[in-house]
Amino acid sequence: MATEVRTQTAGNMWKVLVKPGDAVRTGDTLFIMEVMKMEVAHEAPVDGTVTAVHVAEGAEGLDAEDLVVEIR
Amino acid sequence: MLEVLKPGLETSVQDYPGRIGFWNQGFPPSGPMDSWSFRLANVLVGNQPGDAGLECQYMGPTLKFNRNTVIALTGADMAAKLDGKPVPLWQSVAVSAGQVLEMGPARAGTRCYIAIAGGIATDPWLGSRSTFHQAGVGGMNGSALKAGHIVPVAAGTGMAGRTVKQSARPPIRTDKRWDIEVCAGPNDDWIDEEGQLRFLSADWKLSSKSNRTGFRLDGPQWTFAPKATNKPPEHGSLPSNIIDHGYPLGAINLAGQTPIILVNDGPSMGGFINPYTVPSAAFWKLGQSKPGEIYNFKQISVSEAQAMARAMKATCSESSII
Repeated sequence: MATEVRTQTAGNMWKVLVKPGDAVRTGDTLFIMEVMKMEVAHEAPVDGTVTAVHVAEGAEGLDAEDLVVEIR
Repeated sequence: MLEVLKPGLETSVQDYPGRIGFWNQGFPPSGPMDSWSFRLANVLVGNQPGDAGLECQYMGPTLKFNRNTVIALTGADMAAKLDGKPVPLWQSVAVSAGQVLEMGPARAGTRCYIAIAGGIATDPWLGSRSTFHQAGVGGMNGSALKAGHIVPVAAGTGMAGRTVKQSARPPIRTDKRWDIEVCAGPNDDWIDEEGQLRFLSADWKLSSKSNRTGFRLDGPQWTFAPKATNKPPEHGSLPSNIIDHGYPLGAINLAGQTPIILVNDGPSMGGFINPYTVPSAAFWKLGQSKPGEIYNFKQISVSEAQAMARAMKATCSESSII
């Protein structure tokens, strides 16, 4: 069962730091959103391998709870 | 008193109308961006409409209450839960000592307001408890909430089980488009007629580089009247440059080609023109919109803007409660 990492806020995708196939550990930063001129880092909740990245760097106008990364 | 377990993205103490009377010394009013929702939250718990409460932006906080009280949440839906049980918006709710209010990301809308019976009782600064964190004044020692903060709350009994009438709630848009009222001026005569029509007909996209200081907009290029292009050199080199002057709150400040709406924590002066101004009664729409959403501007007169503000004040009262 894949672990889904979703946006915690509306905003823009400032940086995507992982790609499919990357091994990640709990607490690694997966992607960073920008809102109110602040960076909002999103971390891996589990150890595993990134199986999918659904949002590209620079994407604008994301909502909260949009699916971004899947980890298995 | 309440304890901050998680602060949220930038949750701050605000009161209404904020720090009034110091604009000429560079201090903005601050206060809640959506004062419509904010005032109704206070009315729900039996406070004065302007008493200090919390403004939660994008991601709400997790708070623990240290005594029995009554709270109300209004504005954006942050899926709030009290000890795991959903808390309705637009209602006053009894809270017991030890209960934990947990909030998530904003869904419909962007800013959620929390009023607590008695009101937040941090030390006022220049007559207001509103946080202006760029100057480090107001609120919790001049900053947004941080984990571990103990926020003082004045004594108050409050009334649970009260609801804001549907017709009295701000119509928060969920289709990513907002019609925003503007008044012309003070510098609309620096924009040519074509540019004025373009401003009022174009789609303007809210940038994520927007905060309580300014709301930056992406849209078409501006064109200028001869007044802007043929002027004494002391005004500056860009068509949108002008000899430093005072800015109105809500000014659509044209920095080169980028319009920035100067909002609650905005600057009081500078050297760019302000072709249009968003009236205070339309600020709630700014406060509830998200990056990537579209603004369409609609010009109204100053007397219409004043009537909107009076109507909103009348709405933010006991008459809206059932």
